[in-house]
Amino acid sequence: MRPLYLLREAMTNLRANRGNVMIGIVTTAFTLVCFGVFLLLYLNIKNLTGTLQGDIEVIVYLDPEASEQAVSLVQKRLRTEPAAVALTFVSKEQALREFSEQFPDESLLLEGMEGNPLPASLVVNLSPRFLDTESLGAFAERVKQLPGVTHVAYSQDWVDTLALVVSYFELGAVVIGTILAVATVTIIANTIRLSLHTRKEEIEILRLIGATGAFIAIPYVIEGMILGAVGGGLSLALLKGVFEFFRLELNASGWFVGMEHILPVFPREVSFLLVTTGVLLGCGSSVLSVFGLMKVRN
Amino acid sequence: MIQLFHVSKFYDRCTALDDISFRIDKGECVILTGPSGAGKTTLLKVIFGAELPDAGQILVQNRNIARLRGGAIPYLRRTMGIVLQNFQLLPKKTVYENVILPLIIQGVKRREARKRVMDVLKAVSMDHKQTIRTGVLSAGEQQRICIARAIVNSPILLLADEPTGNLDAELAVEIVELFKRIHAQGTTILLATHNQRVVEQMNGRVVHLQAGRVVSDEGATS
Repeated sequence: MRPLYLLREAMTNLRANRGNVMIGIVTTAFTLVCFGVFLLLYLNIKNLTGTLQGDIEVIVYLDPEASEQAVSLVQKRLRTEPAAVALTFVSKEQALREFSEQFPDESLLLEGMEGNPLPASLVVNLSPRFLDTESLGAFAERVKQLPGVTHVAYSQDWVDTLALVVSYFELGAVVIGTILAVATVTIIANTIRLSLHTRKEEIEILRLIGATGAFIAIPYVIEGMILGAVGGGLSLALLKGVFEFFRLELNASGWFVGMEHILPVFPREVSFLLVTTGVLLGCGSSVLSVFGLMKVRN
Repeated sequence: MIQLFHVSKFYDRCTALDDISFRIDKGECVILTGPSGAGKTTLLKVIFGAELPDAGQILVQNRNIARLRGGAIPYLRRTMGIVLQNFQLLPKKTVYENVILPLIIQGVKRREARKRVMDVLKAVSMDHKQTIRTGVLSAGEQQRICIARAIVNSPILLLADEPTGNLDAELAVEIVELFKRIHAQGTTILLATHNQRVVEQMNGRVVHLQAGRVVSDEGATS
């Protein structure tokens, strides 16, 4: 009987305070949309960075004069490296073939040359744990010292830039998230306070007949939670709609052909996080507002 | 039931209660009387824990109110019925919803609660108006509902502060009769009033307050 009563009271509060409740819901939704946009950008960029980082290869160019035994020793040595997860030998002929396929216009340049100027190489795929600048540098330096190796090539700069962007996003998410959360808590707390103010006499009566602070406070906490959940749901619907719209627009534009698997990330966790954050913000705000109700002596 | 030992209460520099000591036994009917500002309301407030005394001790059902933690006050109030001059009803709720409230707070089962509410509404002759919102009732009817709510959890002590203050003479007589019936069933009553007709009609022990002091206690058992 009591839980039903408390829920009914919360619904009565919401109905009685319709205007303020709407403001609270819209504010929560707006805050969570901003937060969600940031979160989605962050997740997508992080996802993109991760995918691109996975594609980093280290190319170990071999001395054309190196004996088979020397090449075999280099291969053996690379296999013992903890950073290397895959090793592919690219012969001189294969290198020429790939060059001609990838750059058909420039293949004429090679025609005037005597023999095949392209060296044989070993393509090393690295474990994600060793993709940071320092590890990569140290790995390249070690490999360069091996007999039969002329030089080691890898491209890291642009991945580092992306990683930097991700770290800025992380920082931005924390700062903006905190500011927006404080704003939402303030607005929901004020909504609940107004609700408390309009029912001041009722609260006095409840105290008079023996209601505990918790009994009086619970409907307001439920009110805050409902407000937060609806705000969270609304933000989810808005975000999902906008996200789908942009995804369709991007696909239609053809800018990201072949990268669809990287970009459209709207994980279920984000949906869950938005609604949960809404509920938690609503709950926290109302607890803050009704804290004074726990003091019963009046 | 209630024992007061040298109780004093001050508001800023005004003395609301000045060294008050008396006791009320179980089943007694005590009329607290005196002019406005004599300290009647303050005395009731310290008894139901709305105010803390600045000096002295108050024992209500062997619990020292002055030392009671804030969280224990609601449980103390559940053993009392409180009737105030301004009714203190929820105007948007029906008669039934108002009266059942103390039972909901105490977690009484729905069927049992319904039975008790109907019994007290019959006792105050308001059972036919159970579905009506209290906001549209007359002053006399509202006070009856207030009394019904105060007695619905069968309290051992009923506190009333000027219960006839907002009623005309005829209605006041009806309400006093209601209190007498409740007292006859064994409930201890402490009723504050400045209305001499109510004092006479109640025919109980009369404690007279003036400027926060007990100036007479007529009919005290000890």
